[in-house]
Amino acid sequence: MYEYGEFDTAYVRDRVAQFRAQVERRLDGSLTEEEFRPLRLMNGLYLQLHAYMLRVAIPYGTLNSRQMRQLAHIAERWDKGYGHFTTRQNIQYNWPRLPEVPDILDALADVGMHAIQTSGNTVRNVTADHFAGAAADEVADPRPYAELLRQWSTDHPEFQFLPRKFKIGVTGAPNDRAVIRSHDIGLELRRDAAGAPGFRVFVGGGLGRTPMVGQELAAFIPERDLLPYVEAILSVYNLLGRRDNKYKARLKIAVHEHGIDTIRALVDEAFEERCAQFSGIDQELLSGIAAQFARPALEQRGVAPYHAAREADPVFRAWADTNLADHADGAHAIVTISLKPHGATPGDATAAQMRVMADLAARYGHDQLRISHEQNVILPHVHRADLPQVHGALKEAGLATANVGLVSDIIACPGMDYCSLATARSIPIAQDIATRFEELKLEHEVGPLKIKISGCINACGHHHVGHIGILGLDRAGVENYQVTLGGDGSETTVIGQRAGPGFSADEIVPAVERLVLAYLDLREGAEETFLELYRRLGAQPFKDALYPEQARRRRDAA
Amino acid sequence: MTKAFTPKVVTANALVDGDVIYLTADDRWSRALQEAELIEDEAHAQLRLLEAERQTGTVVGAYLADARAGPGGPEPAHFREAFRARGPSNYAHGKQTELSDV
Amino acid sequence: MRHDPSSGPVAARVEALNARYRNHAAIAVLRHALSDPAVGRIALVSSFGAESVVLLHMIAVLDRATPVVFIDTQMLFAETLSYQAEVAAQLGLSDVRTIRARPAALAAHDPDRLLHKSDSDACCALRKAEPLERALAPFDAWITGRKRFQGQTRARLDFFENEADQRIKVNPLAHWRPADVRDYMLNNRLPRHPLVARGYPSIGCAPCTGRVKDGEDPRAGRWRGQEKEECGIHLVNGKLVRGPVADDARQDQEEAAMNVIVTDTGFAADDRGGDFQSPDLPGATALDLAPDADVSVLQGRLEGVDIIRIAFPAFSDGRGFTMARRLRMMGFAGRLRAAGHVIADQYAMARRAGFDEVEITPDLARRQPWEQWQARADWRTHDYQKRLRGLA
Repeated sequence: MYEYGEFDTAYVRDRVAQFRAQVERRLDGSLTEEEFRPLRLMNGLYLQLHAYMLRVAIPYGTLNSRQMRQLAHIAERWDKGYGHFTTRQNIQYNWPRLPEVPDILDALADVGMHAIQTSGNTVRNVTADHFAGAAADEVADPRPYAELLRQWSTDHPEFQFLPRKFKIGVTGAPNDRAVIRSHDIGLELRRDAAGAPGFRVFVGGGLGRTPMVGQELAAFIPERDLLPYVEAILSVYNLLGRRDNKYKARLKIAVHEHGIDTIRALVDEAFEERCAQFSGIDQELLSGIAAQFARPALEQRGVAPYHAAREADPVFRAWADTNLADHADGAHAIVTISLKPHGATPGDATAAQMRVMADLAARYGHDQLRISHEQNVILPHVHRADLPQVHGALKEAGLATANVGLVSDIIACPGMDYCSLATARSIPIAQDIATRFEELKLEHEVGPLKIKISGCINACGHHHVGHIGILGLDRAGVENYQVTLGGDGSETTVIGQRAGPGFSADEIVPAVERLVLAYLDLREGAEETFLELYRRLGAQPFKDALYPEQARRRRDAA
Repeated sequence: MTKAFTPKVVTANALVDGDVIYLTADDRWSRALQEAELIEDEAHAQLRLLEAERQTGTVVGAYLADARAGPGGPEPAHFREAFRARGPSNYAHGKQTELSDV
Repeated sequence: MRHDPSSGPVAARVEALNARYRNHAAIAVLRHALSDPAVGRIALVSSFGAESVVLLHMIAVLDRATPVVFIDTQMLFAETLSYQAEVAAQLGLSDVRTIRARPAALAAHDPDRLLHKSDSDACCALRKAEPLERALAPFDAWITGRKRFQGQTRARLDFFENEADQRIKVNPLAHWRPADVRDYMLNNRLPRHPLVARGYPSIGCAPCTGRVKDGEDPRAGRWRGQEKEECGIHLVNGKLVRGPVADDARQDQEEAAMNVIVTDTGFAADDRGGDFQSPDLPGATALDLAPDADVSVLQGRLEGVDIIRIAFPAFSDGRGFTMARRLRMMGFAGRLRAAGHVIADQYAMARRAGFDEVEITPDLARRQPWEQWQARADWRTHDYQKRLRGLA
């Protein structure tokens, strides 16, 4: 994986020094809060409901064991002993004190990490497929391009004060695990007829108040055009995006208002202008970066211990069935460590757990870890023969929950327990749903089902693309939860449809339970997933399950 | 229809640690909602808010939050303010631990 | 009335005043506050909301010439403005000082009057906090309507308070109960704010004062700011706000002060003295570009242009950076200036985007002196763009 060079290290240190001075100037009154806020946001520092919150980037979700250990150290030294992994491959600390934040940033710089541009109206942390570099279905590793984009977007002088935030997601596989059609720019790596790499480019995706699926801006741009093309899109957006209303300021609204063809014409024009700015040096840098992402030398030895453990230990087998994914090398597996124990806060890990994961990566995983947008941690290259040891160590640390992709593997934003924008809580709803399905012992029978919960319309919990989406709102001073159905965040992205009136905090878990039981009732067999059934039958049977009174009235009237 | 003024407290976050704070009648900032000045006059509320907003070196984002009188002092009128006054619900962090030894 | 300089620091005077007037009634406290040399120059700050009429009435009875400071955010309800005029006239108040944000500050920070939508805190700071701070500067003391009964903590609230060792705060109503306020208003037939009677729970600026349904709580603060486009303006009967007001003499003077030009070598006076022309003017050699100007119309017209100035209406509006970059890509080799609300932390961005210099107000130059700009004058180092483009 990418190791900081001298340039990166000097840059990040300088940036910490700048922020240290900015904090001092805020405290001495040279900077007003109005002026300080965008500066602290550019360095990942929010002011939330109860305290400051520091959002640290894990670029394209990749980190090594040393970095993970440093995250644990920061959690213990400057926070309350834990961290929260987010839906955009970041980690958030919920309790830092303003004067100590520069020290935390220095500690991050010690291991080649930063919190730059994890907030603010700028290009945010570039996200990528969390199985990148390991997945069996991959065309090419998207991370070298994501790193190139990280360097290009860092401190880009034109794009630090955009109309609104700007998100870029990259995938290297046809199966989209990076939700790229929900990004301002979604990049899908593909190859042309001659086998040369390039990108299919989507623009104008986004969730939030006005959810939109990204539209294709270009079917293929060659690799060398990546930076000028992306820069052209940004320059068009910087001038065209609305600044009069923050709810209409995202690129998706500009695409919607002007139409994809107008945007394409403007981007093509700007691209001509921008091309001359890049001499090809960026391509040399890219090949240097790509070399650092070469797949580690994988050991060739037998996998008998894996099969033996499957035979002997049903707990291991259940975990292997849900938490392993196919690696490009058949003797290896991609391990997803669930941060969703039933009843716990989705995405949280204690410092001790972080260290266990770091140790496992160092010992069994070629020193690599990934963070998924689904708020889990991944060991991308584990030899199958080592899986029983890995599972045993995870079990001891409370990290062996066998639920990846199932009902209790819920995405949830922090909600009103932490977030100052939230309109209702998310975490307790996720906890209660997971606890309930654990009691029912049904989730393995139910199979793949994505539940996603947001505590406000900004949709950090991706509820629009959950098979079952839950949106927490404030209705007349009471928490109320709206259900959306049929959403999909994959390569066949669909925005879920609202099912009907919302439910109170007490009613929402039984409502979800009715939905899942209705699915079990109606499916043709275990092979038919919740989403497939929804697509076959439409929303009505699910609405009937959600609102039995109405269904009864309709039957009576018929 | 005439509606009575909903009583208010002035609340903000502390600049240094971000903690939720409330303006008291004797011009302190308290971490406890119970110690806040319950303001029952809208004109006075606006003035108190102004006084709070002027303290840019101490507090961030002052605003008026609805509250009601309770036996032990002002109580939150809305669940958001209840969370701000108490702390998160998934861990016993924030005020729920730190205020217990006050 | 000037206070006696020999009467000592604020804390000592507050202690003495509280001892002297401990058992006085509200009106007596106010009478003494208006005349006691230990108090000094005094003003009443009033929002002309519901209960403030009580203190305004007392002032009118005691000394109609007492300065009354009224903060007009220029976002107030028409009803508040007419109520203010009505109360002032009916009570015969002779020194009502309406204070507002400076036009230059409004032009720099909120030219479209939309700041409240994107950043309500900044809007409050601009339109309320700063003007109040300025208005109180000449005074040694100010009068508030705070009462002791508020809050269950029975916090000590004295008639006289020490405000940060700078000013005395006088609370004549410290001992009043809600019934006292109502009785006083009834007995003296004082007019009520028209919007209070119509059910508005609090009367601030129009865009941020929302409708409140039964059982629903008003949105609060920053959070309420998130919802602003859904509330406020359309709920209001009649006109909302007035247009810009005429500058007073002091503001004229401030604006006449020369802007400061920032370059890599330091602060300097503006050698052009604001001599710029519209890009529509044929043959113009010094162009002023609005933040939404389309620079592509200048294609082929840049020959002979010496300097182009691009306006930054707010530091958070980054359009000017792309405009500058585009002008450079179009081959413009003359001077390029960013003018308006650009802060020291943006200096490196401005230089890297193609600007040569930044023009700021004397006010901003005072608050962010050269050292803070100098810290970012090393804009050539640590530049990813330069590296990616092979310019390092």
